[in-house]
Amino acid sequence: MHHRTMETIKYFNINRLYLLTRRQILSNAYGWLIAFGAVAGSLLVISLLVAISRTSELTSLDGLYLSVMFIGGYVFTSNIFAELHQSQRSYQFLTLPVSATERLVSAWLITAVFFPVIALLGMAIIVLLANLIASFTFNITPFQQVFSEANFLAIKVYFVTQSVFLLGATYFRKNNFLKTLLALFVALVIYQLIIALAGWALFYPLVDGPRMQFGSGAINTEMETLFLNRIPGVVSFIFWYLTVPFFLVTTWFSLKERQV
Amino acid sequence: MVNIEQLKFGYTRKKNLFSQLDLELTPGNVYGLLGKNGAGKTTLLKLIAGLVFPQSGKCQVNGFEAGQRIPQCLEDICFVPEEYHLPAISISRYVSLNAPFYKSFDHDKLKWLLKEFQLKSGDKLNQLSYGQKKKFILAFGLSTSARLLLMDEPTNGLDIPSKSQFRRVIAASLSEEQSVLISTHQVRDLESLIDPIIIIDEGKIIFNQDVDNITRTLSFEVLPEIVENRQPLYYEEGLGGYAAITPNIQKKDTRLDLELLFNGVIDNAKRINQTFNAS
Repeated sequence: MHHRTMETIKYFNINRLYLLTRRQILSNAYGWLIAFGAVAGSLLVISLLVAISRTSELTSLDGLYLSVMFIGGYVFTSNIFAELHQSQRSYQFLTLPVSATERLVSAWLITAVFFPVIALLGMAIIVLLANLIASFTFNITPFQQVFSEANFLAIKVYFVTQSVFLLGATYFRKNNFLKTLLALFVALVIYQLIIALAGWALFYPLVDGPRMQFGSGAINTEMETLFLNRIPGVVSFIFWYLTVPFFLVTTWFSLKERQV
Repeated sequence: MVNIEQLKFGYTRKKNLFSQLDLELTPGNVYGLLGKNGAGKTTLLKLIAGLVFPQSGKCQVNGFEAGQRIPQCLEDICFVPEEYHLPAISISRYVSLNAPFYKSFDHDKLKWLLKEFQLKSGDKLNQLSYGQKKKFILAFGLSTSARLLLMDEPTNGLDIPSKSQFRRVIAASLSEEQSVLISTHQVRDLESLIDPIIIIDEGKIIFNQDVDNITRTLSFEVLPEIVENRQPLYYEEGLGGYAAITPNIQKKDTRLDLELLFNGVIDNAKRINQTFNAS
């Protein structure tokens, strides 16, 4: 009996994933809609104010929209496992018949896929509304569209970086967003210290008294290739292709090992 | 159904709450888990539900390691904690979002239980009283058709009619395949429901007997006086004499006094258990 049961274990089931994602969205829909409405309303007002003050030039508010999307997305991601950190709610979440993989994939879909898509569509609607209102009221069309190459690149960067906040959402029990930011800041400081030390160690032989001796032959071509091509290539590869899997796997372990 | 062997657990590495704990629960019973505050009753329920993990040893539910939290295993466990938060949604919305996770969810049973508890499907969960929330959680748990129900202090916060209603509902809605483990210190509330009785103290199961065996082995009576050379196993002075536990040598048919038994076992478990071994 036991052996037969063990054979049929399914750690990932698409129907359970759908049910969990539906549960997470519909249980929190009211709070999320209020937050989304408040942010969208504020952006629309800001856009119209900018339209009134700069009627003569075509202005892009992409920077503002993207900043709001990034910060909003990180805060949203940091709170996606809020149920897990409240003692009176965590038992419900953890005893729900779903696997750690399904819990992770569901949270990742909501925060890394659905959120940026909805945010981008929301931005497009705000720009459209702002343009409509501005063209009727002031007879101008002040804003560019949001579906630009630069914005899509920004979305890709968000897609990668939000995985860090997903780990923070499971790892920290309180103030997840701020604690993840602090952890990132500390990691960056350490990273920069290492880079500075490596630079010092590599270039120390070139230092001659108060001056550094650069010029032909000062750094050999191998070193130049290493610093100008290989290291940036490796860093780029790590960022685009390894960051998300690494943080997703770490988050999975954090969910799997979670106790109340 | 539940098989715990040589289990070791502690919230800190230095201090163990359980060490070498053994327990087996079989289907078709309503187990009463009794113990003093801090004895580890809630922790034991959490271990079985997979909410905390043992440091060593085995804690299996239906052949699965509880701590693995495998969906197939969780489908057969329903945990009703003492304190809980319910979202600000209606009963019908909660059911539509959570019931589909349980393949054998019995919607007819839920309808019957909600009617029994005087709850309406349109009621907002966050607007219910503490007792009504408890009734709803209980109704939902029983409707999942989970084979193992874990309840932590289920009668806390219930009024007197609701306590008898709780006993009636549990007795009426359980099947032979199901088992309930009820942790409580309100022994009087559940006296007529729980069987067998498990008593836990200082991280150990110090008593585990079914009611039939208890009443065959022990006699619960009020003695006018305590005779020096015929000391009972345990006694408490009360109105009109001494409430006492004595070996049931004459095979008298007495009513189990759970509170007295609990106090007696806590006072001297070895002495009480020796009576069972001798009989």
